Amino acid sequence: MPSRDAALEIRTLAQDPVPIRVRASGEWTFRGLKERELELDRRLTELERQPPDRVAWDLTAVDELDDTGAVWLANALRNAQHIEIAPRHREILKQISQGLQVPAERERFDPFAGVVWTGNAAAGAVEHLRDGVGLLGQLTLDLAGALRRPREFPLREFSAGIYRAGVTALPVTMLVGFLVGIVLTYLSALQLKPYGADFLVIKIVGIGVLRELGPMLASIISAGRSGSAVTAQLGVMRVTEEIEALSVMGVSTTLRLVLPRVLALAVALPMVTFCTDIAALAGAMLVSNFTLDISPAAFMQALPREVDVVNFWIGIGKSAVFGFAVAFVACHYGLRVLPNTDSLATGVTRSVVASITGVIILDAAFAMLLRNVG
Amino acid sequence: MADADAGAGEYVIEIKDLVNTVGQGVILHKDLEFSVRRDEVMSLVGGSGSGKTQLLRVILGLKRPAAGQVRVFGVSWEDPSAKKVRDARRRMGMLFQGGALYSALSVYDNVAFPLRERGGLEEGEIRGIVHAKLAQVELEPSHGKLLPANLSGGMVKRVSLARALALSPDLLILDEPTAGLDPDRSEGFVRLIKRLREEHRFAVLLVTHDLDTLFELTDRVAVLADQHIIACDSLRAVRGMNHRFVQSFFGGERGRRALQHG
Repeated sequence: MPSRDAALEIRTLAQDPVPIRVRASGEWTFRGLKERELELDRRLTELERQPPDRVAWDLTAVDELDDTGAVWLANALRNAQHIEIAPRHREILKQISQGLQVPAERERFDPFAGVVWTGNAAAGAVEHLRDGVGLLGQLTLDLAGALRRPREFPLREFSAGIYRAGVTALPVTMLVGFLVGIVLTYLSALQLKPYGADFLVIKIVGIGVLRELGPMLASIISAGRSGSAVTAQLGVMRVTEEIEALSVMGVSTTLRLVLPRVLALAVALPMVTFCTDIAALAGAMLVSNFTLDISPAAFMQALPREVDVVNFWIGIGKSAVFGFAVAFVACHYGLRVLPNTDSLATGVTRSVVASITGVIILDAAFAMLLRNVG
Repeated sequence: MADADAGAGEYVIEIKDLVNTVGQGVILHKDLEFSVRRDEVMSLVGGSGSGKTQLLRVILGLKRPAAGQVRVFGVSWEDPSAKKVRDARRRMGMLFQGGALYSALSVYDNVAFPLRERGGLEEGEIRGIVHAKLAQVELEPSHGKLLPANLSGGMVKRVSLARALALSPDLLILDEPTAGLDPDRSEGFVRLIKRLREEHRFAVLLVTHDLDTLFELTDRVAVLADQHIIACDSLRAVRGMNHRFVQSFFGGERGRRALQHG
């Protein structure tokens, strides 16, 4: 079977006004060009250097021509004056030649790009803030409405939210709490043992865990776990137009989607914090028993004496606020997702980053406000 | 070149003794036989739930059948040679019902995507092909910058078609190409496919409920019912069949109306 790969035959007729005769044959397709790609490329480039009126092209022997072959020929034939081509290949060659003539979009240097970027960023931030305040306001109105008409409150979503964000989060938060309790106690014990201030360990770990670490661990894990899930869920609902469908049915998105999630996390997170506290203190008790010879019973007795109970309540109160903040930020970002996959990915990332940062800022604010308490 | 020879055979799609299940062993297709010639437009019709989409998924290699042989360009999707499978895949274009455009990429990049993935072309050459494809589906070069979210339904279909045609396929699979388009646009789409087929002789497998599209485009019709392809013949022959689905599909009021026009 003769080879049907693309081939190029060049003859020179010395006496002719058009001395260079080029005859293309075979399959000028992606596959047909592959075999002799380099050779054909070299010969076509050479032909391009010839004055166009001295070259005659005969393409009638081309068996098959696809886009790739047409691109090669169109580039070579750019200024050609003598072309013979089979009628069935004329259209594709013409289309590709026209396609090649479309100028490429070039990024032009814009001296004001920085100013424009800053302006856009500022406008974006203002819009973000406005949407956030709007959502908060709407949420307050919905909550007031739900209090007046308790039947309308989406109880099922609320309880599902507590289960998802609370119960299922317990294993991981408690494990992390337990390990942090162990590490913290061990390190404090190492530092304090030489001074004989063993019982100070209980104070440090007790206050640290109950007031700071418990709520922080629980809310950071929740931001990563539940916050990202909420943003992704609302984002996908936006992509699949489910949110629009809710609005069209006259169902309030904030009442149905945002309120139950925000309230659920605000209720669930203190409970998760409580369990994290217990796990962390259990870890502390374990280490105290082995490194400081403080028995669990002695630890239990010393804890209420060394650590004021208000620290525990501060921790629990803070986690309710953190829970609200994490879910609120997650919903806010989820509702802003645009109907494309990129926006969904950025939305989830930003939501998690913003909620963790938000939690830390809130924690700093609480530390300042409550510095004289406990 | 064994794979080229296989591709030069009479059929682009061959299915034998196919058994296809969904869920937990519910049999959808049983001993199904089906083939598409390399130069024809084959339409696949069937009632809702008859498993047209599932059959398409099997043909596309997105789903492994419970039993039977599926060959596209003579290559089975189970073939151990990854190159053969890839080459066969690159010889077919698919127009998904919803368009399935990459939402994060512009129209231009969507059409350029298969060309870039295949490799072997420079960006300037790709640009020529992309603009030619956009022109073929009657879009302007300026549309290239738009994102899929900013396109109308008809434009999504056309961009998706341009992407399906990007690699100059030998087989084009169209899943409900005119669903969601107004009659004018549907008519335009049918004309477009007809014209493209005159220019580049590719086989078409068309899944549609739209009788007008069917009458305009098709060479043969395969009817999927009762877990089988109950008929696979010219439109005239199939229309005369005495089968409940065929009678209601072609003999209903809409069918008669389309027949009068067609």
